[in-house]
Amino acid sequence: MNNSSFELNLFKSFKEGDETAYTFFYDKYFRRIQSFSFQFIYDQEEAENLAQEALLYLWQNPESVESINGIQAFLFTYAKSKCLNLIRHNKVKDKFKNDLLNHQERELDIEVLNSLQFDTLELTELERIIQESINDLPPKTREVFIKKRFENKKNAEIAEEMQVSLKAVEAHMTKALKILKTKLSDYLFLIFILIYNN
Amino acid sequence: MTSEIIQKYLSNEASEQEVQALFEWIAASAENKKQFITAKKAWVLSGLSNDILSDSVPLIQMKPKNKLRKYFSYAAVFLVLIGLGKTISLFTDSSKASKEIVLELGDGRLEYFSVKNQTTLVNDKGNLVAKKFPDEIIYFGKTSSDKIIYNTLKIPYGKRFKLTLSDGTVINLNAGSTLRYPEQFSNNGNRNVYLTGEAFFEVAKDKEHPFIVNANEVDIKVLGTKFNVSAYPENPSVNSTLAEGSIQMYETANPSNVVLLEPNQMATWQHNAKKISLKNVDTSLYSAWTKGELAFKDTPFSTIAKIIQRTYDVEIINENSDLARQNFTGTIKISESSVENILDLLKRDTPFNYSVNQKTITITNPR
Repeated sequence: MNNSSFELNLFKSFKEGDETAYTFFYDKYFRRIQSFSFQFIYDQEEAENLAQEALLYLWQNPESVESINGIQAFLFTYAKSKCLNLIRHNKVKDKFKNDLLNHQERELDIEVLNSLQFDTLELTELERIIQESINDLPPKTREVFIKKRFENKKNAEIAEEMQVSLKAVEAHMTKALKILKTKLSDYLFLIFILIYNN
Repeated sequence: MTSEIIQKYLSNEASEQEVQALFEWIAASAENKKQFITAKKAWVLSGLSNDILSDSVPLIQMKPKNKLRKYFSYAAVFLVLIGLGKTISLFTDSSKASKEIVLELGDGRLEYFSVKNQTTLVNDKGNLVAKKFPDEIIYFGKTSSDKIIYNTLKIPYGKRFKLTLSDGTVINLNAGSTLRYPEQFSNNGNRNVYLTGEAFFEVAKDKEHPFIVNANEVDIKVLGTKFNVSAYPENPSVNSTLAEGSIQMYETANPSNVVLLEPNQMATWQHNAKKISLKNVDTSLYSAWTKGELAFKDTPFSTIAKIIQRTYDVEIINENSDLARQNFTGTIKISESSVENILDLLKRDTPFNYSVNQKTITITNPR
């Protein structure tokens, strides 16, 4: 699909056990898996460990990935089940003083995780849609969103960097999330149907 | 207000009080919870892209002109139920082979779906075209300008199947259905598929190439929407039910004989009168089968019997005239119920006797 022949060649080498090729995919996906896991286990270091584990598992099981597009699905599927395990076995650190909130958060996270399906083909398309949706955000909103989501900056930091009020940063984030929700809505709906079919 | 707190929560900037307020709001209704889950999913998935750095993003960006990209936002999800007074004996000649899901390729080769593991499908030129699973097939999207090759998929009674076309359109096929569709859609013109039986469509959006379901004497044209289609030969009509958006149904031979559907409407083609009528319906009833359920609302037993025959691959002979006129309402989980369970349930309302002889069930008056 949109994979360069460069990546396709790397994928072939990776399947043959080439470590350099593996490193390429490691670098490409490490942050994504880490960032994904962080949304559910709320600990940067744990999330890094998890991403490392997922990628090690990929290295050990090259035969379970059939196509270059399958790498991402393989890694996310691993991260998803790992996150579910950690939550279910109470290995996630308490975030709130009020224990009821910790409990409620875990319940919600289990539901969100269960509703995510990482199908190879859909994932490839989804990646494009997301990239496109982010690029389509109004310039200021996009800048705020990227600083927040990809550079992990605090709202206050962003406000200072961009010389705007904290309220303005929050408003941009709310707007970004609303737009993404709409742009991805068809996809979110699709997942819903797939679950019912199982 | 709430969307702001959700945003703050997701970016880890909400205070404990705010989180508490949010969770209370989520617990207040299923709709709130759904909203939150959708938001969190969008947030989580948004991280699924290449690293983007704010200072490396140019302010003006060229939009890549990739056709496939357009396809993937699902424009339409619809269900049509079609049947045309003729007895099509596709599944009635009960040779053993017809009990398997069969895919007939453009060059006449037959592929069966009985194998447990996943395999791939290769066209006559040796190119990979699709992935095959026991109850699903997924075509890869390659825009080819070559001539269109049609495949035909036949689902026997007692089975259901899912198909993803090369444009990304997802189709659930119900028991006893046949669908003819191109391996790859052409770059110009409409996206045509041909249906006998019942199917639930989630059509990939592509304004330049309208998606048309050809069902015997009528066509259903997707204009950008969510809807459902289903079509059986033993019924003297074609029904098309729209869940969201808009579709139109017209007589193939006379396209000016047309109706435009609004959400929650069902269009019915009357074969004898050559007329299309519209009525308001609860669309969830008509798509329940895609969730593995049979849903009835004031449905006559004669109709229910037909549905049971297809779903469970049995034959029902009803000699009880009272029962034939009786209407039933309810929902049945297909995987959790047997034909006997269903009949025993109906029996409580309207007494009757039945006997089972292999795959034939005979219903008689109560003794």
